[in-house]
Amino acid sequence: MGNTLQVVIIISLTLMVIGLAMVLAMGGFGFTVPPSSVRSLATIFLNTTFNLDTKYRYVSAMSPEAVTAIVWDYRGLDTLFETSVMFIAIVGALAISRGASEKLLKGFSKTRGGMSLIVKTITRIIIVMIASVGLSITLHGHLTPGGGFQGGATIAVAPMLLIITFSIYLFSKMITVSKAVTLRSIGLIGIALSAFIVLIIAILHGDLAYIFQNQPKLYSHYGLPSYAEVMVLGGTLLLFNTFETLAVAFGFTALFILFILPEEVVKDIIKGEE
Amino acid sequence: MGRLYRAIPVSLLVFIVYIVFTGAITPYDIITGVLVSIVIGIITANIVISNPYKPFDPRRWAHTIVYTLYYFFVAEVKAHIDVIKRILSPKMPINPGIVKIPIRVNSDYAITAVANSITNTPGTVVVEIDENGKYFYVHWIDVKRIDEEGAYRSISYIFEKYASKVFD
Repeated sequence: MGNTLQVVIIISLTLMVIGLAMVLAMGGFGFTVPPSSVRSLATIFLNTTFNLDTKYRYVSAMSPEAVTAIVWDYRGLDTLFETSVMFIAIVGALAISRGASEKLLKGFSKTRGGMSLIVKTITRIIIVMIASVGLSITLHGHLTPGGGFQGGATIAVAPMLLIITFSIYLFSKMITVSKAVTLRSIGLIGIALSAFIVLIIAILHGDLAYIFQNQPKLYSHYGLPSYAEVMVLGGTLLLFNTFETLAVAFGFTALFILFILPEEVVKDIIKGEE
Repeated sequence: MGRLYRAIPVSLLVFIVYIVFTGAITPYDIITGVLVSIVIGIITANIVISNPYKPFDPRRWAHTIVYTLYYFFVAEVKAHIDVIKRILSPKMPINPGIVKIPIRVNSDYAITAVANSITNTPGTVVVEIDENGKYFYVHWIDVKRIDEEGAYRSISYIFEKYASKVFD
């Protein structure tokens, strides 16, 4: 049994190396898959995501990053539902273990939990850098690859590290599940408001606009600024990314706390109230 | 008020990381970088730093440079040559063991710097730190002294001398 497994592993690793080498060699010899010429669909998106030309102005998302333009502008409603999927997952986790995280605080003692002093000290510096990198990914979501979910997931590594190195008891002193869920809800409210913000602006001017509108359209000349002096702001995309980061980072934080609850602390709660 | 003072060095670190990771210094990067560094700095100030004046002491920075140069060009080179000799020698002259050495620096950062200095030099690895932060347990490829004072002199004395000037 052990030998068969080893043979399988060796064969699959060999195949993987050959496959990767072939791709690299083909690229080196000038065969590229897919072909390097831009296809028509890509041409359409490249023309419409960031284009000041009057012909395209009313269909342009004014964001140099095509993926973010598609995700939060062209199919913004889809992305909203994607966000709500994770929210529903968190609601489920909260329903199963309600009240459990508050119980952690009672188990808190001053005894030094978690890992050794060296790991703790390094973690204290690292989390700051992780948060900085995460926010950079978020705030450049409309300029370079990245965006709200990616930035939020990066930031969520920081609470994960804190939980592992400082122990869940100490971490529950810093932030509880209810606080994390509150912050996540603020992020979701922000996303909802960003979807309506252009409509609200238009109504204040006594006119109408589309939901999830970002830039001016042919029949509705309202939109958030895509330029400020020399900066590309990306209109609502920046707002969406920022609030999505808040929602995702604290959503993951709440989930991490719930995942890592020690069984002996929460056994009674998870068993249910028959 | 103390929290705001402590936030300043943290914010500087955040800003540097932000700009380096972004890889650009357009006005947009600088404005968002300043906002981000203020927010993160204030939130994490109490976790990261206890004394806000230490990071702005030029003598500490001078000692940091001396320590870095000494560490990478003297201590590391000596340790590497020593281990290479042991590897290449046909008799394999190793005498491994774990020794207990006392810690004589105070701050968390100093202890961490000493521990990482010991671990990063070939031949010695910090395997455990005492619960109260008073002793290291160090695995040593060639145990010369097993008493605390002797092991301290041969392994961590020189690192602690610099680390206490930088961090304590």
